[in-house]
Amino acid sequence: MSEKDANPSAKDANPTANESLVGGDLLSRWEQLRGREGTVVGLTAIFVALFPWLFARAPVISDFLQGYQSLATLILIWGIFAIGFDLLLGYTGLLSFGHAAFWGGAAYAAGIVAKNVSGDPIVMVLSGTLFAILFAWVLGFLSLRRGGIYFSILTLAFAQMMYFMAASPLAFLTNGENGLTGVDVGSLFGVLHLEADIPSVGGMLLGTWLYAFVGIFFVAAVAVAYRILNSPYGMVFRAIRENEQRAEFVGLNVWRYKLMAFIISGAFAGIAGSLFTIHGAYVPLQSLFWTESGDIVVMTVLGGAGSMFGPVLGVGLYLYIENIVSTIQVLTIPFTDIVLIQDFGYYWHLLLGIVFVAVVWVVPDGLWGIIGRVRTFVSEKVGGEQ
Amino acid sequence: MSVLSDIVVILLNGLQQGAIYVLLAVGLSIILGTLKFVNFAHGALYLIGTYAGLFVALNVPLSNGKLYEWGLTTLGLEWGFFAALVMVPLLVFVVGLLMERFVARPFYDRPDTDQILVTFGLAIVVQELFRILFGSNSLPFDQPERILSFGSFAGIPVSGPVALPIVGNFPQWRLWVIGITAVLVALVYLLVEYTDFGLVVRAGTRDAEMVRLLGIKITRPYIVVFGIGAALAGVAGVVGGPLNVVNPTIGTNILVPAFLTVVIGGVGSIAGAVVGGIVFGLTTAALVSLAPAWSQVGLYAIAAIVLLTRPQGLLGDEEVAP
Amino acid sequence: MTPLLETENLVKEFGGLVATDDVNLTVEEDERVSIIGPNGAGKSTLINLITRRLDPTSGDIRFKGESIVNLEPHEVVQRGVSKSFQTASIFPDLTVRENAEIAALAAERGAFGFEFLKHRDSLTDVHDVARNTLDSVGLLDRANTVATDLPYGDKRRLEIGIALASEPDLLLMDEPTAGMSPEETKSTVELIEQVKRDHGLTFVLVEHDMEIVFSISDRIVVLSRGGIIAEGTPDEIRGNEDVQEAYLGGVEI
Repeated sequence: MSEKDANPSAKDANPTANESLVGGDLLSRWEQLRGREGTVVGLTAIFVALFPWLFARAPVISDFLQGYQSLATLILIWGIFAIGFDLLLGYTGLLSFGHAAFWGGAAYAAGIVAKNVSGDPIVMVLSGTLFAILFAWVLGFLSLRRGGIYFSILTLAFAQMMYFMAASPLAFLTNGENGLTGVDVGSLFGVLHLEADIPSVGGMLLGTWLYAFVGIFFVAAVAVAYRILNSPYGMVFRAIRENEQRAEFVGLNVWRYKLMAFIISGAFAGIAGSLFTIHGAYVPLQSLFWTESGDIVVMTVLGGAGSMFGPVLGVGLYLYIENIVSTIQVLTIPFTDIVLIQDFGYYWHLLLGIVFVAVVWVVPDGLWGIIGRVRTFVSEKVGGEQ
Repeated sequence: MSVLSDIVVILLNGLQQGAIYVLLAVGLSIILGTLKFVNFAHGALYLIGTYAGLFVALNVPLSNGKLYEWGLTTLGLEWGFFAALVMVPLLVFVVGLLMERFVARPFYDRPDTDQILVTFGLAIVVQELFRILFGSNSLPFDQPERILSFGSFAGIPVSGPVALPIVGNFPQWRLWVIGITAVLVALVYLLVEYTDFGLVVRAGTRDAEMVRLLGIKITRPYIVVFGIGAALAGVAGVVGGPLNVVNPTIGTNILVPAFLTVVIGGVGSIAGAVVGGIVFGLTTAALVSLAPAWSQVGLYAIAAIVLLTRPQGLLGDEEVAP
Repeated sequence: MTPLLETENLVKEFGGLVATDDVNLTVEEDERVSIIGPNGAGKSTLINLITRRLDPTSGDIRFKGESIVNLEPHEVVQRGVSKSFQTASIFPDLTVRENAEIAALAAERGAFGFEFLKHRDSLTDVHDVARNTLDSVGLLDRANTVATDLPYGDKRRLEIGIALASEPDLLLMDEPTAGMSPEETKSTVELIEQVKRDHGLTFVLVEHDMEIVFSISDRIVVLSRGGIIAEGTPDEIRGNEDVQEAYLGGVEI
């Protein structure tokens, strides 16, 4: 997926919108545009199909990466979370420190439904997501009562309230400190066991049915998010980010749009949280703790807030380092014996914090922004020489 | 025990718990109100205050962390609690000045979200540094026995039970926490209300642009505001340390209640921070003894109610609210 | 006939300071009214009260005969009162076209909608309004420029364009030429004249530049210390001794 397809921001939204201004054949343009959306979704699907094979099974590459199937699934789940979170942070400019409430809340809702009603994965995802949407509505209503900085503080506060609720008063539902254990995830459509490997080529590429199930949601999440960004909402969100007061004074109900941004991103977090329960068959109390909200902030900002795929990149890197690189005690420069750092597992969180501060300070558009600038630089160099 | 004595115990415990919130909230509130700066690293200042207080006052055994691995089994000056109470706020004051100069100032003109992100990152860095150096295990911060004790002068005993009317024996140290807080907050209040420095601070809370237009050089009061806010967080760390566990996560854990105190009290209002802190302290203390399962939740419920009914905070001024 | 806009005994106090003192202002349809007055006379406060950016201490504001004092700012815009800001209050990282489209979207599709899965390119009405507006403020050829890259004069043009794209019945302009070079001022005045001709727009202008005020207005309202001290046609105001005394310090205009 190229940067151009992936980033429907001000600059590259132009070519299509340009023609609408000049007039032109609407129908053919519509086709063309559908094509563009189709391209993004198609490339995403190809990526999803190849990712676990490259990561966990392909010769040479996977030996180097040392990835494994379950981590590939987890990356997609957090990826869905991050895409939704970025709609709020990167595009609307609202920094929520309370998204653990929707992630963890949906995880619990899905788990509790599985234990008491039905373990059908689709029912779990639906109920978890529905819970997240309703809860985002309430929490957004409260947190958006005060503008600006209060939003971050209040989302953080009310999400913490959820954590303490789950820890103690609601322990009869949530199993308190121990987390929700013994979640029985049923089979998909009554026949497919999610843990089982897919037969033949599908299995070689995708691995388990669970990955395929999550992968479908991931592709759908990309498609929906991309469409939202190209809808009137995408423009309104960016307008609110750029100049909230002006948006109000052109006659937009900024408050309701912000609430919608919050609910939409809560829904994404809800889908991801439900899938997390299906993936692990367990809901740790930790999933509601504020550090979880902090993690999604860090991943999104590191990868690049305000771009479609930057946050997914951030998720991938973060989880890869957390789960694989941090187990390497002595970090060397690849293919050499030069020791970069001893005891890397001990220091990685500190290094992460330092890198995070540096990114916020110097490159607020994150790694994706850096990649974009390098591309521009290279293409200008090449173009200049011709 | 009678109902009356129960109530008095709850009140005293609540005031003590509230005192810690007040110390943090007053600092946060004047920084937020005057500088319009959102400091998610304020908890890190509390963390620094607690550890510094611990290592100045006592000599404690380490059980993990890099210092321990490097052969350090105990750490601390053992200069006593009074020394900590004087030195730590100064130290954290300086940390606050540095933080203002090198972290906050480059971000005054950047969006609120960037301020929050960078201070959040800084909080992670500080927390991780402490974890790496001193380990993640909790350290023992014994309550001080005496303060004002130096040399052969025995000082004033501050620990152990003290006999109070109605309630009988009560841990003396908790009363000292309330007292120290009351004195310090009163001092800051007088400073802000009755000095030229305070005038600039108050005017800045109302309208920083106006103050700048009037030609008052605002940089110095700003940096001092930051320092004072930091020093108060340092004090909170020293006096609060012996009442709670000491580990690297205490800073981030106290940040949320501290911010909520500011929000329900009203930004920029010292009186608001005091009222907010006391309300939270009393709520928590009451729930701890009446409905322990709900003790952590009550504070948030109150915050929600206040926000719904009075969004600018209990003593907040609508015009000031950003 | 009910006036388009009327304020009744409008008062705004900041602390002890009276910024708007019992103002009764009426603006008839198709009228061009300028508000002048020395610095601190309360001109911007009055505009901000009408757009609901500030809450009045007392008094009423009616638009098309209906009170708007309890409305949110965006509701006032939806009723047909639009404002161009003193500084270029634009959406810097959006393109010029998108800047206009935002306002057109609010005008055509209301303050809020649920169309988050509908592609933007299907909103032909919005595109038409945005295009026409950009055309009339002379920015159509810069439609794809990111707004922040425009020169200052063009940013102010865009500012006025955003206000026009809201399709207002009444346009409030807060010092549209503030901070402009003489050439930019000249072209902005031409723009206002042209908008006046093409759209037959009713507007209220707050302006320091007397030349503009006297050439463009049907009626002039003079504010001093928050209150109206005189109003009338440009000729009446030119000859008014109170105005010369209180505001112009006796200087011949």
